[in-house]
Amino acid sequence: MTSEKMIPCVLDGENCEFPEGTTILSAARTRGIEIPTLCEHKELKPFSSCLLCVVELEGKANLVSSCATPLMAGMKIKTRSDRVVQARKMALDLLVSDHWGDCAPPCRNACPGGVQIRGFVGDLAAGHDRAAIERIKQELPIPASLGRVCPRPCEDACRRNLKEGPVNVCHLKRFAADLDLASQNPYVPSKQPASGRSVAVVGIGPGGISCAYHLLRWGHDVTLFDAHEKPGGMLRYGIPSYRLPRDVIDGEVKILEQLGAKFKYSTALGRDVTLKELRGDYDAVFLAIGAQNATQMGVPGEDLPGVASGIQFLEEVTTEKRTRMGRRIAVVGGGNTAIDAARTALRLGAEAVTILYRRTRKEMPAWEVEVDEAEHEGCKLEMLAAPVKIEKLASGLKVTCIRMELGQPDASGRRRPVPKTGSEYVLEFDDVIAAIGQSVNTQSLGESGLELTRWGTLVVNKTTLQSSLSDVFAGGDCVLGPDIAVRAVGMGRQAACSIDQFVRGQEVRGEPQRFNSVMGSLKDIPESFFKSQPHAARNVMPVISDERRVSTFDEVESGLPESAARAEAGRCLQCGCGAAEDCALRDYATEYGASQTLFCGAKRREFEIDDTHPLVRFETGKCIQCGTCVRLLNEKYSDYSLGFANRGFTACIKPPFGQSLGQVLKDPERSQAIVNACPTGALLRNANAT
Amino acid sequence: MTSAGFIATDTDTITVGFGTCGIASGAADIYSLFTRQVESQGLPITIRKTGCAGLCHREPMIELKDKQGHTLTVGDLTPKRALTFIQDHVLEGKPISAKLLVDPEIAGSPAAQYLNKQQRLVLANCGVIDPENIDEYLAAGGYVALRKVLETNDPEWVIDTIKRSGLRGRGGAGFPTGLKWRFIRDNPTPDTKYLICNADEGDPGAFMDRSVLESDPHAVLEGMAIAAFAMGHCYEAIIYCRAEYPLALDRLRLAIKQATERGFLGDNILGTGMKLKVSLKEGAGAFVCGEETALIASIQGERGMPRLRPPYPAASGLWNRPTNINNVETFANVPHIINRGADAYAAIGTEKSKGTKVFAIAGNVKRGGLVEVPMGTSLREVIEDIAGGSSSGYPIKAAQLGGPSGGCVPASLFDTPVGYEELLSTGAIMGSGGMVVMDETACMIDIARFFLKFTQDESCGKCTFCRVGTRRMLEILERISTGHAALADLDLLEILAQQIRTTALCGLGQTAPNPVLTTLKYFRPEYEAHISERKCPAGKCRELTRFQITEACNGCDLCAHNCPVGAIVGDKKQRHSIDQEKCTVCGVCRDVCKPQAVAVA
Repeated sequence: MTSEKMIPCVLDGENCEFPEGTTILSAARTRGIEIPTLCEHKELKPFSSCLLCVVELEGKANLVSSCATPLMAGMKIKTRSDRVVQARKMALDLLVSDHWGDCAPPCRNACPGGVQIRGFVGDLAAGHDRAAIERIKQELPIPASLGRVCPRPCEDACRRNLKEGPVNVCHLKRFAADLDLASQNPYVPSKQPASGRSVAVVGIGPGGISCAYHLLRWGHDVTLFDAHEKPGGMLRYGIPSYRLPRDVIDGEVKILEQLGAKFKYSTALGRDVTLKELRGDYDAVFLAIGAQNATQMGVPGEDLPGVASGIQFLEEVTTEKRTRMGRRIAVVGGGNTAIDAARTALRLGAEAVTILYRRTRKEMPAWEVEVDEAEHEGCKLEMLAAPVKIEKLASGLKVTCIRMELGQPDASGRRRPVPKTGSEYVLEFDDVIAAIGQSVNTQSLGESGLELTRWGTLVVNKTTLQSSLSDVFAGGDCVLGPDIAVRAVGMGRQAACSIDQFVRGQEVRGEPQRFNSVMGSLKDIPESFFKSQPHAARNVMPVISDERRVSTFDEVESGLPESAARAEAGRCLQCGCGAAEDCALRDYATEYGASQTLFCGAKRREFEIDDTHPLVRFETGKCIQCGTCVRLLNEKYSDYSLGFANRGFTACIKPPFGQSLGQVLKDPERSQAIVNACPTGALLRNANAT
Repeated sequence: MTSAGFIATDTDTITVGFGTCGIASGAADIYSLFTRQVESQGLPITIRKTGCAGLCHREPMIELKDKQGHTLTVGDLTPKRALTFIQDHVLEGKPISAKLLVDPEIAGSPAAQYLNKQQRLVLANCGVIDPENIDEYLAAGGYVALRKVLETNDPEWVIDTIKRSGLRGRGGAGFPTGLKWRFIRDNPTPDTKYLICNADEGDPGAFMDRSVLESDPHAVLEGMAIAAFAMGHCYEAIIYCRAEYPLALDRLRLAIKQATERGFLGDNILGTGMKLKVSLKEGAGAFVCGEETALIASIQGERGMPRLRPPYPAASGLWNRPTNINNVETFANVPHIINRGADAYAAIGTEKSKGTKVFAIAGNVKRGGLVEVPMGTSLREVIEDIAGGSSSGYPIKAAQLGGPSGGCVPASLFDTPVGYEELLSTGAIMGSGGMVVMDETACMIDIARFFLKFTQDESCGKCTFCRVGTRRMLEILERISTGHAALADLDLLEILAQQIRTTALCGLGQTAPNPVLTTLKYFRPEYEAHISERKCPAGKCRELTRFQITEACNGCDLCAHNCPVGAIVGDKKQRHSIDQEKCTVCGVCRDVCKPQAVAVA
């Protein structure tokens, strides 16, 4: 027995004593008190650079670094006072303000559905198709459908945009999903044990399907309701089959059946079942009823026969109530529904389809590719035109239009169209399809007491998607107004998280959000990011012949061939951080709520990637200067392959004399040691390492 | 200086001020001109050199001494004047222009104002003796204190004397020197202890230590030898001095050699058997190496990065041995304390701050240079009486004390006496003695930005708060001075500054926010004007300034003549005007305008 001198002190209000020489940090750890630190390393002398480990000593004005401060008799230590927490948060705010790296890749950040894009694209590139679909279906139950109709925000964010064009993420997703659907045993995720809770999901569109899918996986009993006879919602009744064949939707919805969902079709909310009844029968309700009412044009003659709304028209075509068209068709509006209606009209035999839009092509909310396709197929675009009156003629419909000009920008940021007085002119059509907007059918909600916005959408908590009724959650178009399917899918999953918490009696906090460092938008990406990336052109989707396109409802896009898909997947730059799931900086930033935007316009250090080493990849922009690598090499191995350089903000860690890591660091054990010791993703295992 | 009864034609010695200030002003030319004249004409006159006398604003300066020992000091020499000086004044006895005389005995003269309120203890020999000649130091009473200490042979008495004198560290922090020596003496280790002289003076605008080292190096060496004796087990001392001080290094090297030869240093000091080897370590000029743990790392050949204290150097310093570190000025005080006695020294100054303090005054004052005043002297006396107040005619607005680590004291607080606690209470620090005086044309945001930029660049980059935090502060200041900030930025700036002050690892980081915090405290409306009105009231921040010419204009045309972009027009004797399209807001017009007719719009 050694007779060590014991030092008495007060740690977070508790009297205790420790052997002389014990640091505050190790004393706290002995007592089970967690103190964050990024620069402390068990094999090394204390360094005190990150200063996350600060604690407050009673009677001292300054905070002290606990990793290097030995206990002294009578010290009264507070490890989690407000001052301490504030200082740690500020240290993290500062560190992340200078962190030039992505946790998640930009594509995933941009995807409203949160799909693990880099992961599944990497799986496809490696030929692991089953792994790819399993990864996709962690978030997204209907990838074959979205792989056809998604306007792909992920691709807008893709860094390859700065080179040859984005990775064709959407079609790769379809590639993986089509393979899966066509296989003998399409992937079905495993289920957690039954919770004994039941949830009603109203609306079997993308939002409802997504919410039900996740709730089913987590062990809940789910019943889905829909006014239509078949599943899909707007995917089926709003999107023409030449873009999304119906068997794809049916195939994908099977996954819900396999997970044990119950379906009640042709059951309309407010007509066949009330919200009140659902609330009584189920532990929670998810409303994903969409925005299915067409907005009226508000012009005389719009109720004449021959005038229809866009969604009504598309639904009639889907249900085969309408199989023929007039010769001359006008479509009013500039959104996706307008374009879908125009292209559908062509396929039903219309000879001349004119799209009337009150702004210019630039302001059209429709997806640009779809507008191009419509023009390609022969639709005529009549811009800066708005109907003011529709009259019945013997030969068809007389549509009086007025010319518009663009004025000042409105709330949407687009320039407001203003009619030009006296510019009226007359056009003749056989049918007029008005697709100028959609709204939520709030009548179906009855006298439920649900709070609505002045646009008639449902009010929900943005994080939890909980409505003004605690057991009712909502997502998709009925909250957002008409929007894209993938956003509804994302909200379905978010709502499922909240509902899961709610029915299990937990606090409803919504989907947990982790700190997520971003390098910035495309303009912030330094040229050196693309170092050693060879040129690789984008692989595009093949399409069927023009003749077939306008005469049939055959799917226009025929799917990427395997060779193209593999090549395309290989174009992925694998952005994002290899240490994102194992990063102390990220974990602490999450815990302390650090913000990367607290300091606006913050300058960051130079960005460099040193991938000259066979085993180690060094991304300087992510280095937090904890010096662990330098000290480990110096103290443990007497190796000086890395050192500190420069002063002030430009201080950095690098190999000496302008050399690269590959030139100086030779020993594999040491290489592995510094990668393991790096608390962030600055030092990573080189992806090319064998 | 000048004394009555001086007879120019009896001159036998001419002493040329050869501090860095003198050399920069052309002292070398003056020296060689005099030497050549004396040699060519075979005159019985000695030409010698001395260090800085503190009147840097009067350099090149010479002192004439006649055979009776009467002296006359002449400043503002030029090579042209020097060329005929000996012929005109020494040989022919023509009177010297009163404007050139530096005579504190003429009541009300600038020299009198500059010198009479000073008390020169540390600077007593500066500008008087030849620093390159040990005999002159000895003649001035040098090494008497060391001899006394060694003869008394009682380290406890030395420590007690220093403690009772009340001497506190002149490097800035003001830790009691006697106590520091006590700790190190009491360290029971049988190992060698080290002594370090911190001569890494790095603040912009500060040159006290440099002047002392250049002008009186032996005083520092004597103080070090006394300290080494008091510490016990100390055989090696190191002076850590920046390589940017070549003259100081040369003179130190010479002084060490001379002192060793004469037995004041070396293996057998004054025959007592005491050993002390003093060596020089040249620093590369990193500001952070003035921080003692970084300084030690630098001496050890490591990167100059501070570490957490404890352990303090007194427990574990250079090569992990007990180490005593004092500043140049602290050491220079020691022989005086030993010679005069603790009580006499303690009689100078205030209750808690004893002795004198040397300041390096610069900025918008009439007389800049080195000033040594008793503690307790008010800032107003230093700035207005000694330094003569504003040089520009615009009222004085504030003074930055203690360099980039210090704070900005507004003119309204100039009655604050010089003292550690007193200055700390304003938010500034005593620091090592830098004092930059600013008039109303100085923008406080610009000033804060200047000093913060310095510390930001000089941070070692080790700890998060200093490396990234000061950078973020600087960015906010830049946004403010270019009109891109919001009022919320002020709160963020203040929170961040307070956080850095209380959390950064070392003194550099902890004090770096001081200029910002003090200007925010005393000049917040000026910050707010930049943000809310997008206006720089002082007319310094270009993006936020428009100059205009007021009715006070007398049409002298000086502004138009000096404007580098030809933006000013006006007829002679008529009020001029500024073409705002052309104006680059350089401020030259305002600087040259005698009637102060150029104003911020």
